[in-house]
Amino acid sequence: MNEPQDTDDLSTAAQTVSVTVNGMRTQHNVLPRTHLIDFLREDLGLKGSHLGCEHGVCGACTVRLDGQIVRGCLVLAVQTDGRQVETIEGLSDSGSIRDLQQAFIRHNALQCGFCTSGMLMAATELLQTKPQARREEVREWMSGNYCRCTGYQAIVDAICEVLAARESARHAGAAA
Amino acid sequence: MKAPAFSYARPSRLADVLALLERHGDDARLLAGGQTLMATLNMRLSEPALLIDMQSVTELKGLQVSGKMLRIGAMVTHSEIEASILVAQHAPLLTLAAPHIAHRAIRNLGTFGGSIAYGDPAAEWPACLLALDGVVVARSLAGERRIAACDFFTGLYATALAANEVIVACEIPLAPADQRVAFDELARRHGDYAVVGLAASAQWTQGKLDQVRLAWLGTGHMPLRSIATEQVLQGQRLSDPLLALAVLTLRNELQTEADLTHSAAAKQHLAGVMLRRCLKALAAPAAATV
Amino acid sequence: MELQGSVTLPAPAQQVWQALNDPEVLRLCIPGCEEVRQISPEEMHARVTLKLGPVRASFVGKVRLTDVRPLQGCTLNFEGSGGSAGFAKGSSVIVLTAVPEGTRLDYSAQASVAGKLGQIGGRLMDASARQMADHFFNAFKAHITGGASTTPPVVAGGGTAARSAATPGSLAVESSRLLWFTAGVASTAIGVWIGAHWL
Repeated sequence: MNEPQDTDDLSTAAQTVSVTVNGMRTQHNVLPRTHLIDFLREDLGLKGSHLGCEHGVCGACTVRLDGQIVRGCLVLAVQTDGRQVETIEGLSDSGSIRDLQQAFIRHNALQCGFCTSGMLMAATELLQTKPQARREEVREWMSGNYCRCTGYQAIVDAICEVLAARESARHAGAAA
Repeated sequence: MKAPAFSYARPSRLADVLALLERHGDDARLLAGGQTLMATLNMRLSEPALLIDMQSVTELKGLQVSGKMLRIGAMVTHSEIEASILVAQHAPLLTLAAPHIAHRAIRNLGTFGGSIAYGDPAAEWPACLLALDGVVVARSLAGERRIAACDFFTGLYATALAANEVIVACEIPLAPADQRVAFDELARRHGDYAVVGLAASAQWTQGKLDQVRLAWLGTGHMPLRSIATEQVLQGQRLSDPLLALAVLTLRNELQTEADLTHSAAAKQHLAGVMLRRCLKALAAPAAATV
Repeated sequence: MELQGSVTLPAPAQQVWQALNDPEVLRLCIPGCEEVRQISPEEMHARVTLKLGPVRASFVGKVRLTDVRPLQGCTLNFEGSGGSAGFAKGSSVIVLTAVPEGTRLDYSAQASVAGKLGQIGGRLMDASARQMADHFFNAFKAHITGGASTTPPVVAGGGTAARSAATPGSLAVESSRLLWFTAGVASTAIGVWIGAHWL
């Protein structure tokens, strides 16, 4: 392989990114500086995830990369070449968090809805990795997502309800 | 806000990372987990010409026992350490500290090597590395060298790492059978940078403390050990008078610095609280708590 | 923010004074300094690149001198702009005193930061200002003694626990505060050093 020249090294031009989003492989030319969240929203029209602080603190841009939640504002689109991204659209369409979404509605865990996609993403990973989490653990886990409307209690209530329901279902399934 | 324009490279070999670093110097930035760097770029507090993404360099991953050490690849993420059985077995202090690091989404990408390379005084891993007498393995085009943790952190965001060096791994001595560890951290919100935190380890020999290591985070401008307080505890049985003496020694030894939310005096007091909690945790049966 | 310190230099006041008046000396001793230009007898411009942790920011500083008492001290008024990072300004009072070991230089600076830098609280502002001051004085002392100095300068940073006077931002978002404030410190501290050594 030839040594790349300085000018090649430092070109800020767009690069080709081949990424699987919500199960569909797609190829785009993207500037290196473009955040994953902006790529998803602007290039792919997936507006379900939102931009809040743009420096990794608020959690509104939370999406999944290779099955794990990440901050869409702290990942570059070019970093996702060859990888898998999942947004709230894909997660919702899959039906796998229907119980969580309904619990959110029942408990009034969303008002303006801006934080909600991030909350659902984070909660989903909690349900997957800590199926027996207690309320205090739920609060700690979810502290990476800000909400300006609800005061958080309803969100924690909804998640705890789903944790309990899924645990019961597992026991019922085991007993059957 | 949006990051400025830059070029992006994703080499698959460490040699290529080092070559790019050599060629471009400080115009290039190493991209590990990006959880600090990307926030910096988004704030326009750095405008590099090139990002060198290390995610594809397999040599930097990997968590394994290597001789008498636990070797943690520089690109191992905080979440991987959190979930690792090897770590729970051989370096349980890290398992205790991991859940305190920021939030899950950050932990899924942030790396051990990145945290060590910055040496943020309020970060968990630098203090843990100090408390466990860890070693930093650094590579440049000239070769590899090993730097003891006690020599690695030299000042505010200052480390012994040269500009052309990359951390490839950190090594931690395998926890001996009678080692006990404790970790505690105070933050206003779970996941915030530590107001005060303590990573503690000691050998527990017939009810007496031996080889005590007390590494502090959030108290000053770099992670550091309170040596005088460690010496006061050396070879002693824990008792209320000893705890009181230790807290007093700490108060005289630890130079705390005020920050946005807490005065230096408040941090002094809280450090004493952390010391009590962690020493009691060390004394509790079956090793680690908190 | 407030920063106070003192350093004893093993040289007579005249030599210290001359070195401090030399823009080239300042350029060599200020960490990250790329350029120092004397605009007029009372004004200097400097460009400094701050490297602290993840931050890489270029600052342009201007220092104006008032109340000059030759070989004794003066007051400096400084401004530093870090482009999109923000803006800092303040003043610093410098006093030179003859001591048996040579000359003691005392400085007392106050600064405020505005813009992005001013929004977020200074977790590490005092610490980074002190570290930069240490670096400067080490280099300056080495220059004065004409070789590597083995004893660190006596900087009274520890006792004077300078508390951040910057307005705490209501957000105080974690991942940004230290970044912004270390950058803020830099532009402030640059003014202090430039001031401390422009007599």
